[in-house]
Amino acid sequence: MPQSNNIKSKFSLFSTSRGNSELALIVSLLVVITIFSFMSEYFLTVRNLTNVLGQASIIMALAMGVAIVLISGEVDISVGSVVAAVAIPLVEIMNATDSLMLGIAGALALGLMIGAINGYLSAYLRINSLIVTLGTLFIIRGFVYLYTGKRPIADTGYLENFFQLGSGRFLDILPNPALVAGIIVIFFIFIMRHTRFGRRIYAVGSNAEVASLAGYNVRRLRFYCFIICSLLASVGGILLSSRLGSAIHTAGMGYEFQAIAAVVLGGVSLAGGIGSLFGVMLGVLILAFVSNGLGMINLPTEWQLVITGLVIIAAVALDAFKKKSR
Amino acid sequence: MPATESIKQITNPIKKILTSEVGFLVLSLLALIIGISSFSEQFLSAPNAVAILHQSSLVLIVAIGMTVLLISGEVDISVGANLAFSSCVVMAVINQTDSIALGALAGIAFGTSVGFINAFVTTVLKVNSLIGTIAMMMMLKGGVFLFTREAIQNHHQLPLFPKIATGFVLGIPVPALIASIVAIIGWVIMTRTKAGRLFLATGANQKATRLSGYSPERVKFAAFLLTGALTGLAAVILASLINAGQPTAGGGFELIVIAAVLLGGTSLMGGRGTILGTIFGVLILKIVDNGIILLRLNQDYQIIFPGIVLILALYMDQKRRGTTND
Repeated sequence: MPQSNNIKSKFSLFSTSRGNSELALIVSLLVVITIFSFMSEYFLTVRNLTNVLGQASIIMALAMGVAIVLISGEVDISVGSVVAAVAIPLVEIMNATDSLMLGIAGALALGLMIGAINGYLSAYLRINSLIVTLGTLFIIRGFVYLYTGKRPIADTGYLENFFQLGSGRFLDILPNPALVAGIIVIFFIFIMRHTRFGRRIYAVGSNAEVASLAGYNVRRLRFYCFIICSLLASVGGILLSSRLGSAIHTAGMGYEFQAIAAVVLGGVSLAGGIGSLFGVMLGVLILAFVSNGLGMINLPTEWQLVITGLVIIAAVALDAFKKKSR
Repeated sequence: MPATESIKQITNPIKKILTSEVGFLVLSLLALIIGISSFSEQFLSAPNAVAILHQSSLVLIVAIGMTVLLISGEVDISVGANLAFSSCVVMAVINQTDSIALGALAGIAFGTSVGFINAFVTTVLKVNSLIGTIAMMMMLKGGVFLFTREAIQNHHQLPLFPKIATGFVLGIPVPALIASIVAIIGWVIMTRTKAGRLFLATGANQKATRLSGYSPERVKFAAFLLTGALTGLAAVILASLINAGQPTAGGGFELIVIAAVLLGGTSLMGGRGTILGTIFGVLILKIVDNGIILLRLNQDYQIIFPGIVLILALYMDQKRRGTTND
């Protein structure tokens, strides 16, 4: 009985959960900001707030992609390795051709290829996507180690626009990575809310059987989601690399966990079909502000990890509690 | 047509082996052994066999717990961080008390209490275990550095302590002996006792388990405690192996453990899996590891091959069953 199996499986490891309301997330974000503004005079400054947006931009790009894949009913945990992998063609091509655009094209091409492999294995061959991407997480990282010999590849051309991409500020206020992340967020919120493509992804995620009967090509839609996710992870990789000025073999390690945590905090269901990208954006921002605020009050970075973990558990537990009392 | 008859008779037993749970894994293992030994003479030697058993022990001990946990429909991502923290606890307590027994007990107790918190967060607070244990992983990674900034050395240089990892009993390495005992107990529990059937029942159908008068929460609680306790046990061996408590140990350990368990045929969705399969899963991964070293390949292949093996295994498993895994 593949059908009953399917339904059952969604209730075990990936139990369904309705999203946090976006209002609750906005309130939480404001509470976080208010608390830290009282605790540190430097927290509520334009400089610091825009800095946080810059720091959050990489996880933001990753989280958007992971959220879209989760909404379609699959999962992608290979994004952290993609971040490290795409920096290699980026820096190598830039060093060879002195062109940022060609480098970015190379990075995106690699991201596209990885997304297509993840998507083909998960959507077309129907191998469980958690395992596929767990596998590619290892495989990609392994090839990154092999290629780089576990040494950073430096940007030897010192391209001005590459430096500007990571460290410059738009209108002297907003860090460029934050601008890129902002454009991505707005674009994909629009896609998911107002286009037929977006609505189909929700349909596929909430009930693939019905979506398929309604004439949607479930496999192709999921395939596209994996490609989008990998491309967004590539953007994250490009941004990180431009901040670091090199391709570093350990870059992006553990980012998949941070992205998934932010996505779930933002109210996306692990079972698919439920969640909004606006909520995901709030989830990323809450975690970023918590981590920044704890840094501002001079708490050691280790405490930031501990408290972030607590925040995630508290948020998800509160959501589950609300659901039960409803 | 006698010719086709006899072919049928030959193919039938082969088919039977291929479609049995463990037969396929045994064949893969044999193929690996034959393949590697034809390229390396050292492979089929007693010292190498001992080395493989040694390397498999740590992963196997935790994998037994993870098998039971996955079968009951939950997952624990925090085992790697738990392993590192527990190993520091072991060493710190030994340094304080001068007693190996107390240190080992403290390590196992610490591991178990992490399992307890994971169980509480999952079954009482109703937080999805994937997210809850990711958060726990973050907290442990942060917490261990608050506990100790650097590796805790064996101050008293108790000569007996390193023997736990490097000693032999009747020619068998002690860690392998411990792992075998754990595996046998796990096998007996899962195949011969009511508890084992309860783990399977909970993962297969939580509602039906509840209707039959058993609490699925309590079953899952037990599975989390078991995983935590076994992680603590593995931490004792790890601390003894490096004769220190290393806060940065266990990176990526959770992924290796989960990969081995899944390779052994345990379902991510709960309700299906065997201890025997897990043993073969661990052995296959570790023999591949060992082969890479013996064949003098770049060690970075040690993370590429498990990824490929994992995806391939699941794909073949799925083909064999003629069902999709979702």
